[in-house]
Amino acid sequence: MASNTRKSPSAANGAASQEAVPDELGFRVVHHSVPRKDGPQKVTGRATYTADVHIPRMTYAKVLRSELAHARIVSIDTSAALQRPGVVAVVTGQDLMSLNMRNYGHAVKDHPVLAYDKVRYIGEPVAAVVAEDETTAQEALADIVVEYEELSAVITVEEALAEGAPLVHEQGYDQGVSPGHVDVDTSNKRSNVCQENHVRWGDVDAAFARAARVIKGDYTYPMTFAYPMEPYVSIADYTEEGLTMYSAAQHLYMVRNDVAGVFGLPLNRVRMITPFIGGGYGAKSYTKIEPLTAVCSWKARRPVRLQLTVEESILTTRADDSKVHIETAVDENGKLLARRAMIYLNTGAFAENSPLVSSKTAIRIIGPYLYDAVDITSYAIYTNTCPASSYRGFGISQIGLPAEGQMNELAAMLGEDSLQFRLKNLADSGQRFFPKKRPLTADVKGDIIKATEALGWNDPLPPNRGRGLGVLVTDAGAVPVGRSEVRVYGDGSVTVFSGSTEMGQGSMTVLAQIAAEEFGTSMGNVRVMQSDTALVPFARSTGADRTTTLEGRTVLQACVEAKEQIRVMAADIWEAAPEDIVLEPTGVMSEGRRMGWGEVIGKYFDLSDMEVTGRAHIRQKDEFAELPPWWEPAIAAVEVEVNPDTGKVTVHKLVTVADIGLAINPATSEGQDLGSATMGIGVALGEELVYDGQQLSNGSILDYRIPRFSDVPANSHGILVENQDGIGPYGAKGIGDGPTSVICAAVANGIYQATGVWLHDAPFTPERVWRAIREQRAAQAQG
Amino acid sequence: MNGVAVEQEIEPQESLASFLRERLRLTGTKVSCDVQVCGACTVLVDGLPVSACTYLAYEARDRDVLTVEGLAPSDGELHPLQRAFLEDNAYQCGFCTSGMLLTAKSLLDTNPTATEEEIVEYMDGNLCRCTGYRPIVAAIKRVQGELA
Amino acid sequence: MPMFLPRFTIDQPSTLGEASRLLREYGEDGCVYAGGTELLLAMKKGGLRYGHLVDIKTVPGLDAVAQQDGAVRIGALATHMALERSSLVRSKLPIFAQVEARVANPRVRASGTLGGNLCFGEPHSDPATLLLCLEPTLRVTGADGSREVPLPVFMVGPYEVALEPGELLESVTVPLLGAHQRAAYRKFQLHEYPMLGLALVLDLDQRGAVTTSARVAIGSVSPTPRRSEAAEALLVGERGAVRGRLDEAANALADDADLLDDHEGSAEYKRHLIGVFLKQAFEEATADTSAASGGRGS
Ligand SMILES: Cc1cc2nc3c(=O)[nH]c(=O)nc-3n(C[C@H](O)[C@H](O)[C@H](O)COP(=O)(O)OP(=O)(O)OC[C@H]3O[C@@H](n4cnc5c(N)ncnc54)[C@H](O)[C@@H]3O)c2cc1C
Ligand code: FES
Ligand code: FES
Repeated sequence: MASNTRKSPSAANGAASQEAVPDELGFRVVHHSVPRKDGPQKVTGRATYTADVHIPRMTYAKVLRSELAHARIVSIDTSAALQRPGVVAVVTGQDLMSLNMRNYGHAVKDHPVLAYDKVRYIGEPVAAVVAEDETTAQEALADIVVEYEELSAVITVEEALAEGAPLVHEQGYDQGVSPGHVDVDTSNKRSNVCQENHVRWGDVDAAFARAARVIKGDYTYPMTFAYPMEPYVSIADYTEEGLTMYSAAQHLYMVRNDVAGVFGLPLNRVRMITPFIGGGYGAKSYTKIEPLTAVCSWKARRPVRLQLTVEESILTTRADDSKVHIETAVDENGKLLARRAMIYLNTGAFAENSPLVSSKTAIRIIGPYLYDAVDITSYAIYTNTCPASSYRGFGISQIGLPAEGQMNELAAMLGEDSLQFRLKNLADSGQRFFPKKRPLTADVKGDIIKATEALGWNDPLPPNRGRGLGVLVTDAGAVPVGRSEVRVYGDGSVTVFSGSTEMGQGSMTVLAQIAAEEFGTSMGNVRVMQSDTALVPFARSTGADRTTTLEGRTVLQACVEAKEQIRVMAADIWEAAPEDIVLEPTGVMSEGRRMGWGEVIGKYFDLSDMEVTGRAHIRQKDEFAELPPWWEPAIAAVEVEVNPDTGKVTVHKLVTVADIGLAINPATSEGQDLGSATMGIGVALGEELVYDGQQLSNGSILDYRIPRFSDVPANSHGILVENQDGIGPYGAKGIGDGPTSVICAAVANGIYQATGVWLHDAPFTPERVWRAIREQRAAQAQG
Repeated sequence: MNGVAVEQEIEPQESLASFLRERLRLTGTKVSCDVQVCGACTVLVDGLPVSACTYLAYEARDRDVLTVEGLAPSDGELHPLQRAFLEDNAYQCGFCTSGMLLTAKSLLDTNPTATEEEIVEYMDGNLCRCTGYRPIVAAIKRVQGELA
Repeated sequence: MPMFLPRFTIDQPSTLGEASRLLREYGEDGCVYAGGTELLLAMKKGGLRYGHLVDIKTVPGLDAVAQQDGAVRIGALATHMALERSSLVRSKLPIFAQVEARVANPRVRASGTLGGNLCFGEPHSDPATLLLCLEPTLRVTGADGSREVPLPVFMVGPYEVALEPGELLESVTVPLLGAHQRAAYRKFQLHEYPMLGLALVLDLDQRGAVTTSARVAIGSVSPTPRRSEAAEALLVGERGAVRGRLDEAANALADDADLLDDHEGSAEYKRHLIGVFLKQAFEEATADTSAASGGRGS
């Protein structure tokens, strides 16, 4: 997946030393594929994940889950379970009554720690047993007797929106902490609408009226599961002094807030620690099982570990499925005029992050194109299914197929090449294509030209093959708020303190590279401390690909600030004016005299192991005032083959483009993009959770197929575009949501070229493709 | 266990994964799917790969068990596959990595000259959600190149 | 979804007779334990519950693979991987070795046994589908001695086989294919188990142009893997004529299969796939290049 300009990681091995020669851009450590900091731990099995943490006196919790989709809880009898030897405590909704808050939620506080009045989906936690060992806890679940009064349930969006539909939530709730979700309706609602969003500009009706051609379509995006290989797990230790938790949580500060709220604890008494995370892809953003684990520990007065299975993880958080109606209008020259869309997300029993996801779908379905007018409405709808939340790229996956699939169909309808059609209609870098938002911060036209060239867009197509392209942009970076600290020691070593978490994306390495670059030192001389709310500075979240860009910016700034302190110290030592001290790559200089950074600190304090701390923060001000901080393109081109006998689709070639500004670590950036594209291939070809009545019928990895070795083409090519045009350090901008969202649309175009049929419902399973081909043949035979 | 004899009383229903993780605190072996599909828990028993999640610790009596902790020939040295995984960035979150390494080892031990197709087919029973697999294939081929 | 192993004991008999006695003693609460790949999974999921597992791996010799006048005798405990790698099986029954090499993943193949595969009565079994066409005899041993059972009789229904209380499967004897016999296997798979398996064995005349007799079986789409007499009759005759009847034969196969709509696919799609793979298997079996070969669908 290396593009030709890349140095291989091996070539860059050790390049990060003081003596390293700067590259063509003047960088010694950044912009090099230096070995990852977490690598040696991960290939030897030493890396510690939450499940590997062991606390003395630890007990184990297991969860009893609802077997009904919608029911009032009449009674819960836990007496038999409590009798079982080895059981330490049994927790039910009754226990929540003495807590500060029974519900949590960063957007809407609608999520009970445990069901107390009613259950809202099959799989919802109803009780938990804490025992000396897991087997006992599991066995004791069978001793609990729950009496329910069943209610009628709504499983689909259609059912939920029908006249007189039963309500998943009868009342409104308080809004959560998360700023930005200002659209959340917290009033007393009497429908199953969780959130409604609108994006409108121009006169859409007029634009459609004067259009030369209009295309309309309905699309489905399946219910999916991100499947991080590490299932949800957390450990809580609630004591008089406060609460300490280990959890596989991407946004530990947000979790801290939710958990503190449940107990009414001050922030400084809740310590959240996130060891290495075994993958997230959105599924580990926000609060999941932490409040329940904490309540178990609070009740048991012992440390408690709650480890879910993958089956339970699916029941904890899936991704929203969606149905979209979309219409696009063009003028006689094939120039886009307007787009209209109605987006319905099935959000499940609780809001989780779906208010944000749904608001993002409305923005992202527009794409980086120039329209006179748009009118987009999106809804998040409550149903009695397992709750949906973030999935790679918040809401962009759900609209990728309608947004870009329709663009492909439109080009075909006009008889135009889908690349040329796009080039005609895409915004240029710097162009404000979306009113009141930051102008486009990427060269998407250049990017798709690169993608299609690498794919061989115009090469003759073998039989049963087809090619396709997709391009979207995400308003990346979430809300720009964050802090970092950089500590420089008297011996010249450096530690970076960051609130971001290492979940595979390589943040630990990238942040170290920045500090190593700034202090002219080696990677080995820089340490990164992450993910402990008691020690490291606040980070709003790790996600939305913000770490490199936003945390990276604050780390860079903190390095600069530390060097400024050292400058003043050096001036004091040399009895010179601070402005006469020159900052060199590895230390200070004045009138031919030189000192290393550490040396200055040692001399100044007359203590060789003293330290200096640089601090920096950003907030939504100045250059970060305008949102989004940057637009992240999602770009992919594929060549597929359709087996005409079985309908099976195979991806033969894949090209992704990461318009990254500057790759701090090119190898990890490429890795991110291929991983992201592979998730897209999963949804395009087969991933789908299916409800059979009120029950999930394939909620196990035995029946839910994620991409395997054999699904990813050997011919995969990743292109990094480095125009140094980002707001991050050295002109970098985040990637990592990557091309997941556009793969379905690109594959759909490939299937069309190979077979002549347009598919609107992902995933494109062999049977669906076979049916579509057959129906089309039947229609052709008739007409 | 990784070349060292271990004597422990176990319960019959104890899985090899929980024996390794909970009793021996060898936590390099990961458990994900728990149903023999993903391969995160792969360890080698007498050289053959097994899913430690659904394999009884009982089966390991009098047999050689190799886990990721025993892969490196000595402290401070790495197995060629571990080196190759580092070189090719064949990991991200690392949760699948132990299983990938051991599965790859069992492949190369029996079929050191496996073709790309054979590599893909053999490794197909190990899942990774982060890397998109190609870097793992590259790492295995790198080791083949070194052996050749 | 409990997903944990309940408590049980493990017995270690040293003879089949002892194993059989233990099983009778335990009755409903006891079960044969071989590789455990199906058994432990089903117990974890709460589908099966036993207080006692009788580990037959402590009975010596049950995993032997040996040639026996015109046949290969496979001990019930031979693992898929052992069979895939066995030089005897590879040379004498290459189609069988090829099918075994594509069962599940290497971990399941390394522990899972042929006996366990057959005794579990899993409708999605590749070996059972192929074996239906190879017509093996199964040797079943109980406390009162042994008996020989043909495979179609052994497979009673989904997850149900013809073993009496205390009886075990000891071995499977598979006749070798003759010089004029050709075999092919196709499989189509989306999830962990095959969605469709199709096995074909043809007896050809001297010139290889006429099928004198045919056996065809499909697996995974019916309660147990099945053969179809009607389909087999249609496959007998001159090659060109048979080719013209393949659609009809595929329909006969599908008719005899009780196809169902399920999460793997609709009955209609499965019927279509049977046609696709029967044609592929037929072309492969009648191609002159190799005596017997296997392959998988795509
Ligand atoms: C993830 C996964 C994927 C799979 N994919 C495939 C596939 O693609 N194709 C395919 O054909 N199969 C597949 N299988 C099935 C696999 O072949 C079987 O799991 C394996 O062969 C069972 O053998 P075992 O020794 O582990 O049986 P066990 O689990 O030990 O036993 C299974 C059952 O048979 C009984 N039993 C075992 N041996 C005997 C005996 N000698 N006498 C009497 N009763 C006995 C046991 O009591 C038990 O009820 C898959 C299985 C898994 C878990
Ligand atoms: S955890 Fe054992 S195979 Fe997935
Ligand atoms: S590296 Fe994360 S699952 Fe493979």
